[in-house]
Amino acid sequence: MRTRALLAAAFLLFTISITGQEGHPLTGTWAGDWGPPGGSRTHITMVMNWDGKAVTGLINPGPDAIPLTGVSVDWGTWTVRIEAKGISAEGRLEDIGSYHRRIVGTWNQGGTKGDLKLTRE
Amino acid sequence: MKQLLLGTLILVGTVVHAQLPVPALYDEWRRVTFDGVVTRVEWVNPHAYVFVDVRDPSGAVVNWAIEIGNPLELEQRGWTRTTIRIGEAVTVEAVPARGDAKRGRLSSFWKRNPRTRVFNGLPRASASESRSPTPRWPDGQMRLGPPGGRKGYWGTASVSTMKESGSTVSVRADGLLTNVSDADRVAPLQPWAKALYLYRQRTLLKDDPSARCLPPGGPRQFQTANGFQFVEQRDLGRILVLFGGGNRNWRIIYTDGRPLGQAAEAVPSYFGSSVGRWEKDTLVVESVGYNERFWMTNGGLPHTEALRLVERFSRPDLNTLRYDVTVDDPRTYTRPWRSAWTVQWVPDRDIEEFFCEENAESTFIR
Repeated sequence: MRTRALLAAAFLLFTISITGQEGHPLTGTWAGDWGPPGGSRTHITMVMNWDGKAVTGLINPGPDAIPLTGVSVDWGTWTVRIEAKGISAEGRLEDIGSYHRRIVGTWNQGGTKGDLKLTRE
Repeated sequence: MKQLLLGTLILVGTVVHAQLPVPALYDEWRRVTFDGVVTRVEWVNPHAYVFVDVRDPSGAVVNWAIEIGNPLELEQRGWTRTTIRIGEAVTVEAVPARGDAKRGRLSSFWKRNPRTRVFNGLPRASASESRSPTPRWPDGQMRLGPPGGRKGYWGTASVSTMKESGSTVSVRADGLLTNVSDADRVAPLQPWAKALYLYRQRTLLKDDPSARCLPPGGPRQFQTANGFQFVEQRDLGRILVLFGGGNRNWRIIYTDGRPLGQAAEAVPSYFGSSVGRWEKDTLVVESVGYNERFWMTNGGLPHTEALRLVERFSRPDLNTLRYDVTVDDPRTYTRPWRSAWTVQWVPDRDIEEFFCEENAESTFIR
């Protein structure tokens, strides 16, 4: 059983390694966490989609989802700004050519500020 | 078990990183020239290599791996696997690899005894073939394949990269802009698309999915080396497009009158969902349903799943295919735009075997 699981994991890694998303850099599902220095980390799942005019999406899709109210990108610096009810975040898009590109920056929620790390799944 | 897993992961790494795009691998601004002796000839896909022992100033012998091109194209240019033999004294001028690897891409090649520049000219179609009329089916409809009873396929495109028709921007054959500030003149890019295109240009196209042997979707399929062939299955109401290059795949164009589906309903794919119709001597093909996993040109022009292509194929004579494509992707471009080129007929030959994945460099490059 463990053998099968390991082989399945290797196959999944292979599949992920060779498939990518080469369209709008923000489109897709992102996962990661945020938290204040030395504090506990809070998991985040974020789904974003480019419709040709704006990036729309959700934080933590499901019954407690929070719609994104604004997403903008400074294409000169690859800086992403994300707004939602009670939340503002800003980060830099890194490793842009990779399927698993990242957003690394800061997250503000309810008066608490922390660092943010998101990776495109 | 751990060894098996490790082996699998190593295989994965080997396949994924088997090839880098030429600009990312070689330093086009440098040249090296040396005399040496041929020690090995690897006549393999996708790139043939000649290995040359070179004595450096200290007297030590260094073995250089020289990439000489795709063997199918080389054969069309007059090279064969016996053109260069082991033990021959040669002079090589090459574009060296980035970094310290003793590896290069051939610029010029001379045999030294006697001094002869190895043939490297493109064969040209004969005048009589150029003047040959467009082949037709008995009912008069234009044929996209060879005349009845003959062989042939479509080979080299007149351009190897894509830009908007009428644009005078200078783009190299490998897709890199001569001047990246010209990006706005390649196509009417939205700001995000321009930023991504520039990123790909500035990183020397290193992330090109085609270099990882993924299919060259969209218009790029008609600019990829090793040609393509139409198989018109008129009784089945479809045309197969068989690709000799890329990842050696095929595409289906339905001509049975079915409507074009909606992009949102199609399963996103590399070649999309295509329907075609004849307008006199032009095959007009509309396609939607593309995925976002490929670059539709070697220079890295992006697209989204909203991409819709209208392709027009015509054949003014036996030897020439005119390809004209309108790109409509409102999520990526500010307006629809067109590009066009011609493709040369290769008479009396079949597409030869080519596998992109074959001979990953780590299997034989030291």
